[in-house]
Amino acid sequence: MSELNLRISPARLASGVFALLVVVSTVVGAQAPAKDPAAVKILQNMTDYVSGLQQFSVHTENTYEDLLDSGQRVDLDIAADVTVRRPNKLHAARTSNLNNQNFFYDGKTLTLYNSSKGVYASQPAPKTVEELLDYAREDLGVIVPASDLAYRGVFDILMQGVTSAVVIGKATIGGVTCDHLAFSRPDIDFQVWVAEGDRPLPCKYVVTDKSTPEQVSTVSVMSNWNLSPGTPDAAFKFIPPEGVQAISFMPVK
Amino acid sequence: MKIILKFALLASTAIVVFMLDMESKPTWQPQGFQLISEAHAVYGRQRRTRRRGAAVGYAAGSASGAAAASATASTTQQQAATTQPVTTPESGAQPIGTVVSTLPAGCSPVQVGATEYQKCGPDYYRAAFQGNNLVYVTTQP
Repeated sequence: MSELNLRISPARLASGVFALLVVVSTVVGAQAPAKDPAAVKILQNMTDYVSGLQQFSVHTENTYEDLLDSGQRVDLDIAADVTVRRPNKLHAARTSNLNNQNFFYDGKTLTLYNSSKGVYASQPAPKTVEELLDYAREDLGVIVPASDLAYRGVFDILMQGVTSAVVIGKATIGGVTCDHLAFSRPDIDFQVWVAEGDRPLPCKYVVTDKSTPEQVSTVSVMSNWNLSPGTPDAAFKFIPPEGVQAISFMPVK
Repeated sequence: MKIILKFALLASTAIVVFMLDMESKPTWQPQGFQLISEAHAVYGRQRRTRRRGAAVGYAAGSASGAAAASATASTTQQQAATTQPVTTPESGAQPIGTVVSTLPAGCSPVQVGATEYQKCGPDYYRAAFQGNNLVYVTTQP
């Protein structure tokens, strides 16, 4: 190698590296995708609209991509039915072959009832749905289904760190024409489909984890939106069926 | 040339180190995406992407409800700070506060006051929710 006599002074090397960096950053800069205001606006319309709903019920079908130890991908399915009535009522039922979880919040008490195992735990709860979701997650480690939909101000959370926003086009999901949006953040990509027209409800979400080579996603399809479910108060209150056992929540460490 | 080689070597090392670092990052939970943690809440475990060789073969678990429950089981153990592997009662008493997701074999229910315990060999287990998941904790009745 040395017979080639390619002597490079540190200064030249430094300037070479610098030039390379300039080229790389220029290329990267040129490719940095923009945030299409149209995509951002549709997302915000949707989140504003959902935040403004006094009540709703929705059915969600969630597919959770996972990997076997061999690396083979498998998809796990969970359905959840959620009813929210602001400011302080929530009922949700999550069904899968592994486990059935039912959530009751009547403005005073949160109950998690595992109907397949016949056990429940109740806990005094905050006064509003949003405080409840925070409390459940932070103090009890409990994730209530479709929290993304019930949160006000979810727009800001979703847009955190977004580097790219694109309107992909139209898609028909469950018979509804929806705008297909794609967003990118350093850690994740997410896609949202929002119903066209004067009821901009979410039709579907796909969230892709980019932090691993496998890039697995979680897919959530929403259907049966009802904006006036007229759920009676009694449906938000848990009355233990005969023979079920009261247990407690373990505090989050 | 040597300098270039060194530089290249250094750069590739840096990339490898970076990748290793990526691999060992803690569990993925982007803020604001409850949908992800929601799936976790149901299945009682994080994705397996960064946890090769961890505990259970899911394929076996999904074959039947009972087996699936035990698949969920070992993961919850991984999450619990006080976790011990599921052991049979014959292996001796578990420390108080041990969290398992499935009871060992041969337990029988014991009522003490209003609370039901499962007596498994020398241990008493009390059911509790750890987040969304049902677990059993060794306790002193």
